[in-house]
Amino acid sequence: MSGRPYWDEDRDEDKVLAGEYALGLLPPDEAAGFAARLGENAALRALVRQWTEDFTGLSDLVEPQVPPVRVHQAIEARIFSGPARGPLGLFRRVGVPMLTAAALILALFLGIDHGPSGVHPPVAPVYRAEIEATDGGLYVAAAYDAGAGEFYVERRAGAARPGRVLELWLIEGDGPPVSLGVLPEAARARLPVAEPLRARLEGGILALSDEPSGGSPDRSPTGDVLAVGPLGTP
Amino acid sequence: MADRADIETLIARTASGDRVAFSALYAATSAKLFGVILRIVSTRSEAEETLQEVYVRVWHTAGRYDADCLSPMTWLITSARNAAIDRRRRTIHGIEAPLPDPLSDTAPGPEAQAIDASDRPRLTACFDELAPDRAGAMRRAYLEGKTYAELAAQYGVPLNTMRTWLRQSLLRLRECLAR
Repeated sequence: MSGRPYWDEDRDEDKVLAGEYALGLLPPDEAAGFAARLGENAALRALVRQWTEDFTGLSDLVEPQVPPVRVHQAIEARIFSGPARGPLGLFRRVGVPMLTAAALILALFLGIDHGPSGVHPPVAPVYRAEIEATDGGLYVAAAYDAGAGEFYVERRAGAARPGRVLELWLIEGDGPPVSLGVLPEAARARLPVAEPLRARLEGGILALSDEPSGGSPDRSPTGDVLAVGPLGTP
Repeated sequence: MADRADIETLIARTASGDRVAFSALYAATSAKLFGVILRIVSTRSEAEETLQEVYVRVWHTAGRYDADCLSPMTWLITSARNAAIDRRRRTIHGIEAPLPDPLSDTAPGPEAQAIDASDRPRLTACFDELAPDRAGAMRRAYLEGKTYAELAAQYGVPLNTMRTWLRQSLLRLRECLAR
């Protein structure tokens, strides 16, 4: 301990209070009193902001955890509250009987293939994404099969525009979108992921663009981006 | 991982109603925010609900980001932390303690220069100058959203002692960070 008293200046007291406030440690009545002072005191607000920046450095200690896909779906549903979203809402709109819808979802989730195409969903996908257009008119579920190094994609609603194709893109970090390939006419497909890309999927988003037959003639999307969905854990 | 300028761009585009940018912002930042929230709330389902609240709020308030003078990750992480603490205190204690709202302070202050990640080692060094139990209590207050009462119980000291510990530590920390 140094010899001098700690609270020798009002300024020190404010620094400490601002720190307690930024940490959320102040008892409710004191926090309310402090908040009331903030409104008219720019220096005090600066103290709180400084503490906030400093303490946020502690969050470097926190390991990132990829949230499940359903969280992003729920956020989109809450923000863009049009017709009900998600598989149930979509199936209701396209008029498929509920039982069939439930069976389809189960089939995808459990990896049981009842489809005629012979394209199987992965049993234990590492990442999933629900790639959905704003208006719900296009909806593609994707699941990454780490063992095979492939994306399993299943088009559940909508289709390419006449004479056009849907191209799947991976957007990760600040790099340009990377094509994962053109979706075939069949509703289900597996698209191989190039070896260098496989380690860069976490935190990425998948997007579908409208392209001429054969896919984008360029290295990036040339048509409208019709639907997007971030990769999350199953 | 996107850098600071990327995140700022995504927030600006989100503010103008760009949904692709909002999805990209979510993809770039949600894992960090989910990690922060999981440390504070007690169940995964609460963490998921909290994460939803945070991004719904980000969508609606992205236009106010510029005025906040916080670095973009600080703004996002603080929103997540505060929402998680609000939920934790509602569910565990049934009390409501108002938390600083990073979105509410609109007048920029002269000292409000956002620090860069390069200043983080200094924070670690300054924590190392504190007594280990006090540094630990401070970390728990930030990372786990603990109250003085909880910390006092955890460290086996009276509440007033814990408060004195942390108030002294805050002043030492500020002096160290200002050096």
